[in-house]
Amino acid sequence: MSKLNASDIQGFVLRGYNLPVARYLFLHFEDATRARSLIARLLGHITTGQRWDAGKPQSTVNIAFTHRGLEHLELPLATLLTFPVEFQQGMRQRAALLGDTGVNSPDHWDPLWRNDHIHVHAWLGINGQSVEALDTRQAAIQSALDQTGGATILACQEAAAVFINGKPTTKEHFGFTDGFGNPDYLGVERSTQPGQGKLMPDGKTWAPLATGELLLGYADEAGELPVAPVPHLLAANGTFMVYRKLHQNVATFRAFLDRQAALYGGGKEKLAAKFIGRWRDGTPIERSPDKPDSSIAQDPNLSTDFTYGGDLAGARCPMGAHLRRVHPRDAFGFNGRLINRRRITRRGLPYGPFAAEDQPVSDADDRGVVFMALNASLSRQFEFVQQQWVQYGNDSHLGNDKDVLMGNHGGHGRFVVQGDSSNTNPPFVCSNLPDFVELRGGDYFFLPSITALGMIALGLVDPR
Amino acid sequence: MSNINGKVYALNVITPMKPWKTWILRTAFFVLDHVKPLQQDLVNLSFIEFARWVVIPRNDFPYLGGDQKKEVLKYDYLLFFSNFNGTWNQYIDAFSAVLSRGLNLIWRWSEKFPGSVPVTLFKEYIARVQFDTDYYYTAYPQATANDLKSAHIVQSSFDSLNLVAGQSNPQQFADAYLHFVLAVQDHLGETGEAPVVG
Amino acid sequence: MPNKNGSVYGLTILSPIIEDEKATPSHDLQIRNYLAKLSIREESPFAQAPGTHLARLVVMDDVIYVGMPACEEHLKSKYLVFESNCDGELDTYLTGLATNIPEHLDAIWKHCVGYPGAANCEAFVDYMKACQLDTTFYFAAVNDKSVPESLRALQTQSAVANFIATHQGADPVTLQRDFIEFAAHLESQPPPPPGSMGPYREIKTGGRNE
Repeated sequence: MSKLNASDIQGFVLRGYNLPVARYLFLHFEDATRARSLIARLLGHITTGQRWDAGKPQSTVNIAFTHRGLEHLELPLATLLTFPVEFQQGMRQRAALLGDTGVNSPDHWDPLWRNDHIHVHAWLGINGQSVEALDTRQAAIQSALDQTGGATILACQEAAAVFINGKPTTKEHFGFTDGFGNPDYLGVERSTQPGQGKLMPDGKTWAPLATGELLLGYADEAGELPVAPVPHLLAANGTFMVYRKLHQNVATFRAFLDRQAALYGGGKEKLAAKFIGRWRDGTPIERSPDKPDSSIAQDPNLSTDFTYGGDLAGARCPMGAHLRRVHPRDAFGFNGRLINRRRITRRGLPYGPFAAEDQPVSDADDRGVVFMALNASLSRQFEFVQQQWVQYGNDSHLGNDKDVLMGNHGGHGRFVVQGDSSNTNPPFVCSNLPDFVELRGGDYFFLPSITALGMIALGLVDPR
Repeated sequence: MSNINGKVYALNVITPMKPWKTWILRTAFFVLDHVKPLQQDLVNLSFIEFARWVVIPRNDFPYLGGDQKKEVLKYDYLLFFSNFNGTWNQYIDAFSAVLSRGLNLIWRWSEKFPGSVPVTLFKEYIARVQFDTDYYYTAYPQATANDLKSAHIVQSSFDSLNLVAGQSNPQQFADAYLHFVLAVQDHLGETGEAPVVG
Repeated sequence: MPNKNGSVYGLTILSPIIEDEKATPSHDLQIRNYLAKLSIREESPFAQAPGTHLARLVVMDDVIYVGMPACEEHLKSKYLVFESNCDGELDTYLTGLATNIPEHLDAIWKHCVGYPGAANCEAFVDYMKACQLDTTFYFAAVNDKSVPESLRALQTQSAVANFIATHQGADPVTLQRDFIEFAAHLESQPPPPPGSMGPYREIKTGGRNE
């Protein structure tokens, strides 16, 4: 396959920057000409996928557009119509399909995302080493905005890694360690780990996924070029991004866990591990069912290398655990071939103040996670996982049961922890599940290549 | 008219075949039926409730006389009726990903079949040769093939436990009950509405 | 026997539809209109007659032209496709249809050539067999359970899940006593009606749903 031209791909796509703080600006365009000149001005800021041989920069910038944003940039209608239907509709119109109902329905979203007249046109993501670095970069961007009059900033969303003892971690607000499991793709240089790619026919080793599962213009796992907008030059080296602001009800979560753990023979930490599929320190319970083990959690050769073939009944990792739902590996048989086209790359960060286990929390506190996912096809990858594996359970043989942490339960529903006959691993049923997570807004974005950005800035997109 | 009822989708497909190829297809079905790999793969895919292929030789369209005109056709026809769970896209994606050889063995004898891999051309072909259902009934719209299989496991485990329930002492019953829960713990998913499609 | 898989029968019927230019609307459209108004739930004719797991009715207008170099050709009649996955032997099933839902059968099939009416069971069964196609390859995920058994199992599954959820940590004496009561209650409940979406809701004393 062709070598990737890292200078043409936005860095945000190719790697997680591992910078501890971020600020996401949401822009609105008024006038197409001024907006295009703004993009031309911002081109010099955009971080590419090239390696940082001189060390990490203080801050990075990346940009993506909603379909309405592309319309306001006056891309030709013929081009706009070649974008996938789900992207044209936008995430709000897909609410029923995504299970964004009840507390997650657009009626409850932040005003930014449910304004019928002023829509989000672009996302500008700034990642940085410190809040000061973010401020500096934002000031430079503001100056470009002032000089071109190209856009207004509708809102900013702050996000930051959870700091413990002054050091950034990959923890999230429920106390779990996140940051594992981004897929490996052919040609994308990063530190790879066994378990992140696709399973080989031997059932044990892993190989990178086809590049086209992430980037448009490359062969995908189905052995073809993924469906993409035209012209090729606009789509190639680009990808689609999902942005979802997920509020976390930490108080409800802690209370629920305490109440259920009192009845559960394995104890509170084990029950928490059963929800996700990893102990709170990140040890996969499939590998270490009885206790966390930092020698596994911190070893990249072990922390994502496991399969479910030896645990088909779910006694180690429950059938409905979050990890098992969103990345079934070989759980559906056929050596994992049914799931290779359902993988996504995640790039989000938590937002809001972190509260340790012993500190008081309230559901009303503004904290949660900014969930961002990258994939070549929104409908085949993210939407499918959300609709079929998170808000539903048939593929896992769980009927209508939803993901215990992410599902919109509304006080109903069950989570079954399969077990065995030992006292410390009994079968257990959690019922009347509350909503631990609430969607507060978001949308679908297109993250173009550097070339495509240039074409957009110059108004040179030609639909042929 | 709807192809969907609850959790199940009714797919109807008709494809033309040159009559001399029909015999090869019949042989292929015989092989697939007796060598058993196709049946096993279909079982493992677990989202098909019922599926059938029907060959209609060109002279065998039902003819009842009267004013009906007899058909005069060049091609034999292969009808395919499937009752499956999940979306149309998911169904074809899955078949293309894991059953492509079996599919090719069945449909390569149909005119203009592009092969089941890669999937986009395959989907275009199916969309072209699919016709829509006018009326679709299922006795259990709230259940998928998986739900049904699980339900039968629960029923049979429950019946076994019920047999001994009255005849054991509480401790014996508690042991039998644990045994019972372990047998059914993978099969307790709720049934109900299907996810909204598009 | 290709039409059978275990205890399930794959019935494929292709009935030629009457071609009559003078009929307004045409016979195929009349069938479509009737089917459009027919319930697909508990009130469906296939729920009233026994033995149908899944069934479909499709008005097949014509064969489909797949494009050059294939030849274009057309059927001289339209056909009503009846695909049924049912319990038991063919004769029993067809007789069951004729006995239980003759008005629906007549309303649909009177538009088909040579249909004798459902009043005469034997003639009806012969007519259906004359329109029957042999299934070449038949697959069934669950091929050994009847419709009533399946409906009862679904009800049991739902009730058992509730019982397990509400009896965690129960002491053995309570557990046993509750289970015996639960089993008796479950056995006395009628199975949910075929075609319905879910658990049967009992109407308790006083005639109100409590």
